[in-house]
Amino acid sequence: MFESKGGVLLIGGLGFFLLAFLANGVVPILLYRHIPEKTAEEVVNRRILYQFEELSRRYPESFEAAFGEVSVQTCAEALRLGRQVYISEGCWHCHSQYVRPVSNESRRWGDVSRSEEYQNELQRPVLFGTRRVGPDLSREGSRHSNDWHAVHFFQPTLVSPDSPMPRYQWLFDGSPDRPNRRGLALITYIQWLGSWLDSYPYYEDLQELEQEDF
Amino acid sequence: MVADESQTAVPSIDTRRLVDRPLVLCYYFAALAYLVISMLGGILMALQLVRWNVLEGIEWLSPGRWRMVHTNAVAYGFLANAFLGTLHWAIPRLSLRPVLSRSLSWFIFWAWQFIVVATAAGLVLGPSLQAEPWVVKLASRWHIPLSVGAQALEWGETPFWIDPLALLGLALVAVNFMAPIVRTPGPMYVSLWYFMAAFVWTFLTYAMGNFLPEYVVPGTSAGAIAGLFIHDLVGLFVTPLGWGLMYYFVPIMLKKPIWSHGLSLVGFWGLAFFYPLQGIHHFLYTPIPMFLQYGAVISTIAVELVVTTVIINFAGTLWGRGRDFWDNLPIRWFYTGMVFYFLTCLQCALQVTLTFQKLIHFSDWVVGHAHLVMFGVFSMWLFGVMTYLFPRLLDRQWASRALCEWHYWLSAGGILVMSSDLILAGIFQGYWWAALLPWDVSVMGSRPFWIIRLVAGLCMAAGVVCFLINIAWTARAGSRAADR
Amino acid sequence: MGGQICTSRLTHWVTAVLAVAILVPSMVGFANKFLEFAVLVQQDNAGAFAIAPVLNYLLASAGFLLLLGWATRNGMFRDVEQPKWKMLEQERLLDSQQSAAGWSVDAKQTSRTERVE
Repeated sequence: MFESKGGVLLIGGLGFFLLAFLANGVVPILLYRHIPEKTAEEVVNRRILYQFEELSRRYPESFEAAFGEVSVQTCAEALRLGRQVYISEGCWHCHSQYVRPVSNESRRWGDVSRSEEYQNELQRPVLFGTRRVGPDLSREGSRHSNDWHAVHFFQPTLVSPDSPMPRYQWLFDGSPDRPNRRGLALITYIQWLGSWLDSYPYYEDLQELEQEDF
Repeated sequence: MVADESQTAVPSIDTRRLVDRPLVLCYYFAALAYLVISMLGGILMALQLVRWNVLEGIEWLSPGRWRMVHTNAVAYGFLANAFLGTLHWAIPRLSLRPVLSRSLSWFIFWAWQFIVVATAAGLVLGPSLQAEPWVVKLASRWHIPLSVGAQALEWGETPFWIDPLALLGLALVAVNFMAPIVRTPGPMYVSLWYFMAAFVWTFLTYAMGNFLPEYVVPGTSAGAIAGLFIHDLVGLFVTPLGWGLMYYFVPIMLKKPIWSHGLSLVGFWGLAFFYPLQGIHHFLYTPIPMFLQYGAVISTIAVELVVTTVIINFAGTLWGRGRDFWDNLPIRWFYTGMVFYFLTCLQCALQVTLTFQKLIHFSDWVVGHAHLVMFGVFSMWLFGVMTYLFPRLLDRQWASRALCEWHYWLSAGGILVMSSDLILAGIFQGYWWAALLPWDVSVMGSRPFWIIRLVAGLCMAAGVVCFLINIAWTARAGSRAADR
Repeated sequence: MGGQICTSRLTHWVTAVLAVAILVPSMVGFANKFLEFAVLVQQDNAGAFAIAPVLNYLLASAGFLLLLGWATRNGMFRDVEQPKWKMLEQERLLDSQQSAAGWSVDAKQTSRTERVE
């Protein structure tokens, strides 16, 4: 059994692998099966539509060429493409997308991540990430303006002098005020992150001003 | 002591036919080519982090894309090719039978090179095509992922359309190698158990990791499976092949059997049982249920005890032959790798606890750990195997012993400095983050560590250059050296 | 043999040191985790969920141990060390056949990288 070929193949090769798959894979699937998976259209909300429209006014020509007009459909399309750019340019290897309940993370980034947030088309496969060279992005939406992001993608050191982030000039047609289709999509995607939360936009140590200060 | 001749003597083997030496050589050359490419990608990323990257702004040399080429070229280009080449040497010699088919072997070789090159091309060129209208049209018509570039799975960034091909390749590999193994009579040697299990595991792991999170489940459940995939890829593909080769090469080099074959049985079954249960420990403190995270932590600590038995077994084999560690270069590579393996596992037992995770998750600690495993252990072992086999494949002695030594010392020194530097950097980064200092503090504070990492990486690359020069000299030296 | 006593004493010491070095930290770790587990189980309703994976592991390990016992009873471990001798013998045979076939490096078996005189 333990030295025989059948034992090695069936118990070691198949049996234990399946046991692990049951314990590590099937259990979470069963636990979360009641949370419906949303499509990209369903996760489009008023906040991201506002940012999307802002993009269309700020860069009218580029936006017209890339997405036409502002609608839930075009916004969802931009989110899908933006997510693919985020993946294929390797953003997710230097930026994580989950806030842990430890190490003061909820103070720096905002609410601790919950399973419901990941149950949608844009988290398939999930983009938890493994390394934070740059900040966590799961609550990044609206922390910066659209034009800040455009300049930042064009040349990060212009707005963030110490940043080791590379330039992504191929997301633009020559200058930071002319983002192309991929560039607009990526900005939309980043602005969407966290837009479903009550604490949106999240600012670290934000002090609400008293009424009489105005 | 020696088993009787009737069992061992297989008189009618054509030893020339047993091992296809040109095939092994081709696998090794391919492996080394991808290793060089991977190292260039690593250096590019290291230069970017310290902001000395003069090639910045060129789309096809984007560090983000080459970071993925770096890891994929190591896993599927270097390690997989080097393992396949070595298996073509080890399995026929262990089972005294050739592989299923010589032409199938060559087909697999070329198919695998296609898969690796296509992956690299997809990772580097794919993102540029992302917004092309025909890609969008295809994607929406066939409901396929829009991505022509990377797939969002760490260590599995292979573009989605290559995955089925790679899976087919792995199935063919399994069939080709399994044929001689199943025909071997009697109880098998430990290496063969590891190889057999590895073929099944690699296939299943690849299928699970590349298809389920992409097509079947979203979100957190997919995260649990992705964790299992990353983990199994190291533990059920690289580790069993690596240990299987160690159980073969160490005894034949020392000309004495492994200390205890029975203990190796414990090691094998311990690995088979505990290792796959730990996938979720890669994503502690995520929304994955906490009780599953605890389970993964417990079985990780259990597997460290299993690792100890394997280490004791190899220490027992070397016992009394300590000189060989210094004199015998492949043995030195092997045992250095084992020391690193033990250190990695010790580190793993610490870092997997929730206490450590609070501090070091997301930091360079993890990067240091990954390099220690992939380079410090498995690449070192394969360099040792290559150092042993190249003279046999080319049928001549190494042209320069000194270059072999340089290769060893640059690699061993480089990885030691790199991993300790990154592990230390990770601790600093963890404290900077937890202390809620501005983010730039952690970036600027990491700079000295990143510069040291760059230097260490250049040393490791220089070691490989020494190795390549040595191979070229050896190959060109003609039969002159062999006559001496 | 004269060295026998010395060796066995050494073996005892190595065993003792190893036992302390491995067992003490692992037992401390285990006790610690067990306490955490106990606290967790008592905490709330969801805490009882933590028993599920532990039960899984216990059941699977128990099955595995039974299989081990069964295999031992059937004599599967009577000659467990034999394959390692067979492997070395095979390798020796292959090398001698190859040297007969004219592969010089195999014949010498000790290239300069492997041993310095």
